[in-house]
Amino acid sequence: MGGQSGPTMDSGDFIDESDYKSSAQAVKSSKTIQGGSSSLSGSESGKMMVGNGGPDSYEVVFVKDNVSVHPTQNASERISGRLRLIKQGASLFMTWIPYTVKGGGRQGSSIMKSAEKDRNLYTIRAVSLAEMRSIRRHTPPFGLQYIIIVLTSGLAFPPLYFHTGGVREFLSTLRNHALLVRSNDDSNVYLVNDVQDPLQRSLTSLELTEVTPVAVVVEPPPIVTKKDETVQPVEESPASTSMQTSVYRQGPRREASREIINVLEKFSMVTKFARDTTAHLFGESRLLGNSEMDFDRGPMRLRNEGSVSKSTGELPPVDGAQEPVKDGKEAAAKDEGKDTKKAQDEESEKQKRIANEEASTNVGSFELVDGTKNDTPALVWGRARPPPLGHEEWVTFLDREGRVVDSKALKKRVFHGGVEPNLRPELWKFLLGHYKFDSTYAERNALVSSKREEYKVLQAQWKTVSEDQAKRFAKFRERKHRVEKDVIRTDRTIPFYEGDDNRNVELLRDILVTYSFYNFDLGYCQGMSDLLSPILYVMEDESEAFWCFAALMERMAPNFHRDQNGMQAQLSALSKLVQLLDTPLHDYFKQNECLNYFFCFRWILICFKREFDYNDVLRLWEVLWSHYLSEHFHLYMCVAILKRHRRKIMDEQMEFDTLLKFINELSGHIELESTLRDTEALCLFAGEKGAACIPPGTPPSLPVVEVDPFAVSLESSQNL
Amino acid sequence: MSARKRTLLKVIILGDSGVGKTSLMNQYVNKKFSNQYKATIGADFLTKEVQVEDRLVTMQIWDTAGQERFQSLGVAFYRGADCCVLVYDVNVMKSFDNLDNWREEFLIQASPSDPENFPFVVLGNKVDVDGGNSRVVSEKKAKAWCAAKGGIPYFETSAKEDFNVDAAFQCIAKNALKNETEEEIYLPDTIDVNASRVPKASGCEC
Ligand SMILES: Nc1nc2c(ncn2[C@@H]2O[C@H](COP(=O)(O)OP(=O)(O)O)[C@@H](O)[C@H]2O)c(=O)[nH]1
Ligand SMILES: [Mg+2]
Repeated sequence: MGGQSGPTMDSGDFIDESDYKSSAQAVKSSKTIQGGSSSLSGSESGKMMVGNGGPDSYEVVFVKDNVSVHPTQNASERISGRLRLIKQGASLFMTWIPYTVKGGGRQGSSIMKSAEKDRNLYTIRAVSLAEMRSIRRHTPPFGLQYIIIVLTSGLAFPPLYFHTGGVREFLSTLRNHALLVRSNDDSNVYLVNDVQDPLQRSLTSLELTEVTPVAVVVEPPPIVTKKDETVQPVEESPASTSMQTSVYRQGPRREASREIINVLEKFSMVTKFARDTTAHLFGESRLLGNSEMDFDRGPMRLRNEGSVSKSTGELPPVDGAQEPVKDGKEAAAKDEGKDTKKAQDEESEKQKRIANEEASTNVGSFELVDGTKNDTPALVWGRARPPPLGHEEWVTFLDREGRVVDSKALKKRVFHGGVEPNLRPELWKFLLGHYKFDSTYAERNALVSSKREEYKVLQAQWKTVSEDQAKRFAKFRERKHRVEKDVIRTDRTIPFYEGDDNRNVELLRDILVTYSFYNFDLGYCQGMSDLLSPILYVMEDESEAFWCFAALMERMAPNFHRDQNGMQAQLSALSKLVQLLDTPLHDYFKQNECLNYFFCFRWILICFKREFDYNDVLRLWEVLWSHYLSEHFHLYMCVAILKRHRRKIMDEQMEFDTLLKFINELSGHIELESTLRDTEALCLFAGEKGAACIPPGTPPSLPVVEVDPFAVSLESSQNL
Repeated sequence: MSARKRTLLKVIILGDSGVGKTSLMNQYVNKKFSNQYKATIGADFLTKEVQVEDRLVTMQIWDTAGQERFQSLGVAFYRGADCCVLVYDVNVMKSFDNLDNWREEFLIQASPSDPENFPFVVLGNKVDVDGGNSRVVSEKKAKAWCAAKGGIPYFETSAKEDFNVDAAFQCIAKNALKNETEEEIYLPDTIDVNASRVPKASGCEC
């Protein structure tokens, strides 16, 4: 990380002498700058001038190499590139151009190809400073520094990670060319062109819009249009980091259009995340779009771009590219298929309404998500959430013998859409690991009957204990008594378990006592009845429920170990995640001696079973068990919920006791869909650094040695 | 802050799972009994304002998971306790036998400054069950145990019938307050808390 990452980073203002020097040096020593003109490299001022100083000339005022975007958690998908600030006339532009990898790598070619496309799509061709609303810097004590740039539209670019430091220099250079004001609410947020005086503000924006293309992403910035009309796509040009190719002119190409949609989804996800976090974390109503409601711009612009290419497969027409941004919405709707048009319109309406609300309130958008909970399911990161997986679609995942052909796709499907109730008995067996994904119909049928027999045997082990025998078998009596005490107070308000002499309550008892014989060392522990209850409810079959529960306990057993090591591991991973994803909150907990995170104990021990209503628990568990983005999605979810309430927690100066009370009382008041969305974004955002907070073997991971090779290959090829 | 400290009494309820800890607490604070309380996971507390002699105090009553397996959590919850309530079920011998363990565990984990004189109160709960016919621990036996432990106050209760619950908690409050006033001499603790809060309010987070 070099010298820049020291603790001084956070303490002082960023602008000082040494910053300047290193900034200049960064430019000077940057040998990798290439381009058509030799004058680009190594001008003695540390700046590069192109042209004759007239209106078309530009100069590079800042260069930083090894700045990367992390589209997914997957290490191989990190995209590195070069960040530059380019001055033209009175305007400053930022570009981030990913490097082109020559000759491929050791990875499979398809992975490489998609990475190339990502590379192309994440490219920041040129964004004017006038479009920037704020910059949040994040300089964690460990790990990489990054910045998140939030645009006036309310959108943001994905976090840009500075692998060799340089965030300070970047900011100090920016300050030299634009008005940068440190936010009062958070010293890590810098507001760009945030002029307090309204008159001055309008002047500034006038002045800036004059030189700024309205739709920067689609339209080439003015600097190079003249020089270069034929632009090579980045991925085809090994020397694509030159000025010329950094210019964005080409539309996404036909074959890439699908990936483009994907990436745009990713992008909008990350950007929503950035907006939410920035806004929510730092309570910046100013970040949430201005009164002109230009919140709509970003996503529409992106969608427009994607859909144009999708429908025509050609370069976006110049008109289209230059049409006023607010029309982008209509264009987007037009280009969508007819059947999705209505949804699009509704979505646009909703976006507009949200924008209105955001503009008129002072709360962060996390709270707003709460406020609009009635229609949240319509969106999963800018895209309609798929309906739950039903029978018809399910069979398409199977080959003729009944094997799941692409378990990863299945998991992804379940992660996003969940499962229809009548399909749950079948699907849950896969998710829980009772059925192997590559098993055939025949094998599963055989398994069901052999396991049914096995269960009978296990149950007989204690059912045949006579009263006389039980008198001399204290351990058995106690264990049974303990189970009985708990099943009679488990979910008795659910019709399935309601009323006196309920047969299902007896089944709960039988299964739990049988399990305590099956796994005698672990025995019964409080919390297990909570975990079993939904499983029995879904399976409606004693033996099946038992084996599914047993499969779940393969992962969850450490939660109930006497030494509490499983819980400790998760709580400490949670602590690290909060430190990574919300340092101020972490610091707050530290100051208030809350770092043991015991207030999240119940959440983790029984997977939020007590926090949501019954149906939401079923939905949530499917998501968690899909292990799609992370096996530890539940930990990210803890972070997401804590983040949502961070302001209240800190404003009210909650201490250990009040915090615990507050968290306990959130039960029944957590909106699931928006929480899942936040969690998804957090999880993607945290990427490898998040994964690094969670040591191998942390529950609910299977013990490392026991992972079967099939699961391993799944894990390692996992990406979006 | 010191005012709050003076009037907040922290009370911990311990005992085997199922003896009625959650029920007792809810009966006392909310005047409600329900068969539907779920098994406690982790910990929770309720607060209640009480008049003890001429003083109005806030009692913070902590209810924790009863299974021994979760005892390692205790440290976090027991610290700063002013009184510990030990509950057993008069119909379950084992729950009475375990009182010793609970008491010791508490003293280890809470590590009060004066363990010898730390106030405990013992409650024998569920005396209503079966008209007392299924009772296996006699009042005499319970009282003998309490006497042997240095004269611990003892109450027979029923959370279900709201029998003796108020009286028991009144005694708990009194004993907690006694402990509290004695501890107030060690004020530096309180002052520290105040001092460390000053920079926090100014929004410094480095
Ligand atoms: N008959 C009777 N049942 C009680 C009494 N107190 C609690 N219970 C029941 O005992 C069970 C366990 O009570 P709970 O308060 O949850 O025990 P905890 O595990 O110690 O918190 C529940 O079914 C209660 O309804 C009581 O005084 N009399
Ligand atoms: Mg309880």
